[in-house]
Amino acid sequence: MLSYSRSFEKFLFSNVEKSLPFSIAYSTEVKKEVKEEFRVLNLKNVKRQTQPKRAQKQLEALPPRTNKMPVDQDWGSVWPGPRSFHPASVPLPVRQGYVEKGVAPDKYANAELIKIPNFLHLTPPVIKRQCEALKKFCTPWPKALENDKECEKHFPIEVTSSDYCHSAPTIRNPLARIVTIKFKLSSLNLNERAKDKFLRLVGERYNKETDTVAIVTDRCPLKKQNYDYAMYLLTACYHESWNVEPWEELKSEADMEYYDWSKNASKKSVEALFGKQTEDIPNVKEYSEAVSTLMNEGESEYSVTKYGDSVRKLLGLPDAPKT
Amino acid sequence: MATIKTFFSKSGLFKQRICVIKSCIQQNGMSSYPSFYINPIYKKEEQEQLKKEGELSKLTHVPTRAALNDQTCSFTQDPDLNLFTNYCMSDGKKVLARSQVEQTLESIKRLQLEKYHKCKTDEDRAKIELNPKVVFHKAVENCKPILQLTPIKRGGVKYQVPVPITAKRAQFMSMKWLISAGKEKEKPVRFHLQLARELIDASNNSGRVVKKKQDLHKQCEANRAYAHYRWS
Amino acid sequence: MLKRPERFIIKCAQLHNSYIQSLHTTVCLSSQERLQSFRTNEENPLNHNESNTAQFYKLLESDKAKLFVHGGLPKSFETQAKTFNETCLMIRQPALDVINCMKNIDYNKPAVRFVLYGKKGTGKSLAMAHILHYAFKQDFLIVHVPWVGNWMRRCKEQSNSESKEGYIDINLDAAGWLLHFKTQNAHILSKPKLKTSRDHVWSKRETTPKDSPLLELIEHGIARIKYASETVNAICEEIKILSNDGKCRTIVAIDGYNAFFYRITRVFTVKKEPVLPEKVTLTEGFLNLTKFDWKNGVIIVTVDEIAIAEKDQISHLPRYLLGKQGFEHLDPFVPILVSNYTKKEVLSCLDYYKERKWIQPYPGLENEVEFVSASNPYKLMKICASL
Repeated sequence: MLSYSRSFEKFLFSNVEKSLPFSIAYSTEVKKEVKEEFRVLNLKNVKRQTQPKRAQKQLEALPPRTNKMPVDQDWGSVWPGPRSFHPASVPLPVRQGYVEKGVAPDKYANAELIKIPNFLHLTPPVIKRQCEALKKFCTPWPKALENDKECEKHFPIEVTSSDYCHSAPTIRNPLARIVTIKFKLSSLNLNERAKDKFLRLVGERYNKETDTVAIVTDRCPLKKQNYDYAMYLLTACYHESWNVEPWEELKSEADMEYYDWSKNASKKSVEALFGKQTEDIPNVKEYSEAVSTLMNEGESEYSVTKYGDSVRKLLGLPDAPKT
Repeated sequence: MATIKTFFSKSGLFKQRICVIKSCIQQNGMSSYPSFYINPIYKKEEQEQLKKEGELSKLTHVPTRAALNDQTCSFTQDPDLNLFTNYCMSDGKKVLARSQVEQTLESIKRLQLEKYHKCKTDEDRAKIELNPKVVFHKAVENCKPILQLTPIKRGGVKYQVPVPITAKRAQFMSMKWLISAGKEKEKPVRFHLQLARELIDASNNSGRVVKKKQDLHKQCEANRAYAHYRWS
Repeated sequence: MLKRPERFIIKCAQLHNSYIQSLHTTVCLSSQERLQSFRTNEENPLNHNESNTAQFYKLLESDKAKLFVHGGLPKSFETQAKTFNETCLMIRQPALDVINCMKNIDYNKPAVRFVLYGKKGTGKSLAMAHILHYAFKQDFLIVHVPWVGNWMRRCKEQSNSESKEGYIDINLDAAGWLLHFKTQNAHILSKPKLKTSRDHVWSKRETTPKDSPLLELIEHGIARIKYASETVNAICEEIKILSNDGKCRTIVAIDGYNAFFYRITRVFTVKKEPVLPEKVTLTEGFLNLTKFDWKNGVIIVTVDEIAIAEKDQISHLPRYLLGKQGFEHLDPFVPILVSNYTKKEVLSCLDYYKERKWIQPYPGLENEVEFVSASNPYKLMKICASL
């Protein structure tokens, strides 16, 4: 019984709420009557009671543009440039994001969709059209540079920099100044010693696997300056690597970057062992290679076995038994 | 169990009933397993035998405890020896205890082999038991007492009353005596060596531990007049 | 529901009892068939060949008394031998390989170096023992160092060298080695042709004159412990000269050779500063002997992780253990890998143990032990100890 009465109250209350805006709409005539009916006791002589706030007019959103889009429209003119996602302009039922229960949120008021970069301006027909437009400004590709090999031969240095285009008060982007030059080390035609010195000079900039050196310059404010500086670095390193300083002759065995058998104690001891020059000793080549791999590539069961086999051949001992 | 609990706690309506359910599920002392969990069968031969008898299929859905880390299907695994290792252990130093017991077995073999090689005839040799585990089991069996004395107070006087002993208690007493005999030694003698000697002696029904058992039996015999105090 | 598990517990207990009874069975038929193959009656290592691999041969007590009285066999192996009432060595690939090489060496060429290497407990020292037995039978002059680690890592006493500034003598160990050398080569040293090549002056009053027998030099070193270290060096030098002249054929066998090149020793000066290995007087003599500048000799060394401090036991390979200096000293050497047991060797070893009544056979023993020990000989021995 009690609960029934409470729900009844609730019902009444909600009805009143609903009717409220209604009553405001017809306010002008009713207000006067109300004032005459209820005279409020104004003890402190305050001028007026607080006025009810004027209800703000809700602007009704227009229906999305996508509703009116024909199927065969020109998408390139709908979405001509890079732009963050706009649900009303994209006629796709995309969804993005995650909620614990239920499906992913749809495209309207979806921050996830707005945040991520999109490539809606780079659809294949648009690209094709832009290329067509640009074609008349292009010159034909040089015939001598048919393949990558030729390109590398004639243009050994690859210069990379980036330009940025965005809508901001300034058109400068600090990242645009960075210049990277890349070239193959083999294209410098250095000798063994100079190459070693060059590698020591460039340090980490050399990639052993691809045999390329990459110099990145970003210390000057302008792209041109950075490019000049990179070229200066390249020239300086190149010429410096050909220079032989007097202290370089002091390079000892511990400074070697790899094990060279012909410069090491191993060769001397083998020569002393046979009492001959290295060239006259049979089977010495295999031995020297085995020692070099053992030293250069680190020790392993395999390299030690190889070393043993080569020593047996060198000394004329019977072969190791096969296991 | 945990999921059931959380389920009930979430639906607050059944709050009072949880106590009832709790009392239904039997707790097993400090064990994390309820008492209806059965012990694992970790020996391959036992599993095979169960399979033959067709009992294995009945076991498939019975909740089973996980095997302890010393319960393996190895052929060398011996539950009694594991128990003995645990009795040897102090401060939870199981690795040490296990190595001591293993060294004991090794010493038993060495001592027995020494005797074996000293023997002249094959008859004498056949008498020497070379299997350390058999020596161990025999020794434990030989040292098991049948009765023990309990102090019972009657008329302000404590009487040492002989009472029968359970099999498990007898085994415990036997192992305990053996270990304490192993510890009673000169300082330079190693524990495992002394224990090995005691085990060999006990397996031959001689030595300190067997004597201790016999002394206890004699004492029980002497105190047989008090036996009725056990129940009156 | 609750009744059934109880029945099971009872059943398990019954099974357990039957298991104990099964321990009493000691006869295994399959091993009886193999009994013949694990042992060879060929006691002379001269006649061992490929077909003998994984077989045990008996090291005669008389030979053992001459060769390994003052060390040379690992301690755990010695206890096993005592328990088994005989000393048996397994004929294994590495030792056979070295022996085969020794048979084919041209002794007029500079000495060849062999380096035995392998993981811990794979049997390098026992391979060395087998080779030494062969050399003993071949009447080689044996220069055998049982374990260099005993000198560099737990020497008995140390004193400053009197003849050389900044060097440290370990005289007790040196005298011990002289005794070892003397017992090993008693039959060769008695030959009159082994004579000193020059005067050795110890002090104002004590000299060993030229052309005195080598034995006299050794006796002097043992009697006057103060000069033991220098005597060792002198003997090393003399041996080189003697073998170069063709008066004897020498085998140099050094166990734990890499301890000569490991920087951190436990030999200390009077001021308790650790001494570098090259500053120990004994090192010089043996490094001198392991050079290739002499003839009629063969050099066999082992490199072992155990000879160096525990923190540096990273790899078992010879280049790492010898270090740069040691590698250059020995180069070119023949590395010989002593590996874990093969399946055949495991079976043979277990059969030997069974024959010696050391382990009690049970079904599945071989597979289990092989798996648990990962076929490592030392671990296999340890695991079998409690079976």
